[in-house]
Amino acid sequence: FKATKNLDALLGKDLGTLRDIVINANPAQPPLTLLVLHSLLCQHYRVLSTVHVHSSVSSVPPQLLSCLGPKHADSYARHMFQLGFTLIWKNVPKLEMKFSVRNMCPIEGEANVARFLFKLLAPYPSDPAVATLVDSWVDTAFYQLADGSAKERAAVLRALGSALGRGPWLCGTEFSLADIACYCCLSQNGSMSATAANVQRWIKSCENLGHFGPAKLLLK
Amino acid sequence: EESGSMALNLTINSNNPPLGALLTAEHVKDTVQVSVEEGKDNSLHISDSVQFSDTNSISRYLARVAPALGLYGANMMEQTEVDHWLEFSARRLCDQPDLTLALGDLDKALSLRTFLVGHALTLADLSVWAALKDQSSWPSQSKAFPHVRRWFFFLNSQVPFSSVGSKYASKKP
Repeated sequence: FKATKNLDALLGKDLGTLRDIVINANPAQPPLTLLVLHSLLCQHYRVLSTVHVHSSVSSVPPQLLSCLGPKHADSYARHMFQLGFTLIWKNVPKLEMKFSVRNMCPIEGEANVARFLFKLLAPYPSDPAVATLVDSWVDTAFYQLADGSAKERAAVLRALGSALGRGPWLCGTEFSLADIACYCCLSQNGSMSATAANVQRWIKSCENLGHFGPAKLLLK
Repeated sequence: EESGSMALNLTINSNNPPLGALLTAEHVKDTVQVSVEEGKDNSLHISDSVQFSDTNSISRYLARVAPALGLYGANMMEQTEVDHWLEFSARRLCDQPDLTLALGDLDKALSLRTFLVGHALTLADLSVWAALKDQSSWPSQSKAFPHVRRWFFFLNSQVPFSSVGSKYASKKP
């Protein structure tokens, strides 16, 4: 374990208790982007990861119980960790995150939780246009690609094709949250194969990075 | 400011004006010049390859080119709350037949707050106010949600909320 980022600078001073990110997610819609971001967080921080099943859910497939990896040997010693990541499978209509509940309202929506987790890993692009482009692709991934009609999905696939004609990644020369969100939402609805040549090339480039293992494990 | 000399052009469809984006443009106008003209679709043109057409993206961009105003929150946690309310306004308030559940959540959030996020005005207030202003059913429901009512009419009475509201909201069919 080697911490590379300063959490105090990002989240305010550590008051001695574990900073615990608690996520309530519906097992009918596993949050693939959050699992990918969780595994990236584990490369940067000492993360105490826990999975629970809420009483509102009767049974959960074994791959969802083990989706954050094996139980950590030091889990009794909470002070040894920088971040807690607690995933609760619960019958919620919309995914929600609770963090620092005295200061922050509960955050609804996988897109917004993904934005939060990504900022713990890397700063958003400093150019306002590029930063907004990232957010715009994240919205498109979750609203149109994952939730939209066949017609909306087809329009997004065309937009993906033309964006990827301009650069290797969706927002230019840097891999970003836009790529993570679109890759995960695309694989979730099974439209991976029905895409243009440059989208196929981008899918390959995403897979070559090796970040998407946790998502692929759940899609099998 | 990096954006002092920049002039932006916001095209709006006057049958479906992006109220939240227009309100954000009014708030940043001393920092960023935004001219508004009528056209076929809502769109903020940035460059040949980048334009934003949904109200949340336009608002995010304008907030980011005027960082001193703090419209996107003061730190990473406030930014996340702003993101939450942007989605809330787009997904749970706009074009929804029944607002009761959403208004209940909003009322709870506003029970101890003057503004939705932090201690100052942010995109959260602008986008949620705009989404409610667009709802013809809202004023008649306001009695049941006293905290939303207090917050909504407090903003409603202030410039530029009042001017944007009277100029654009009444144009809706």
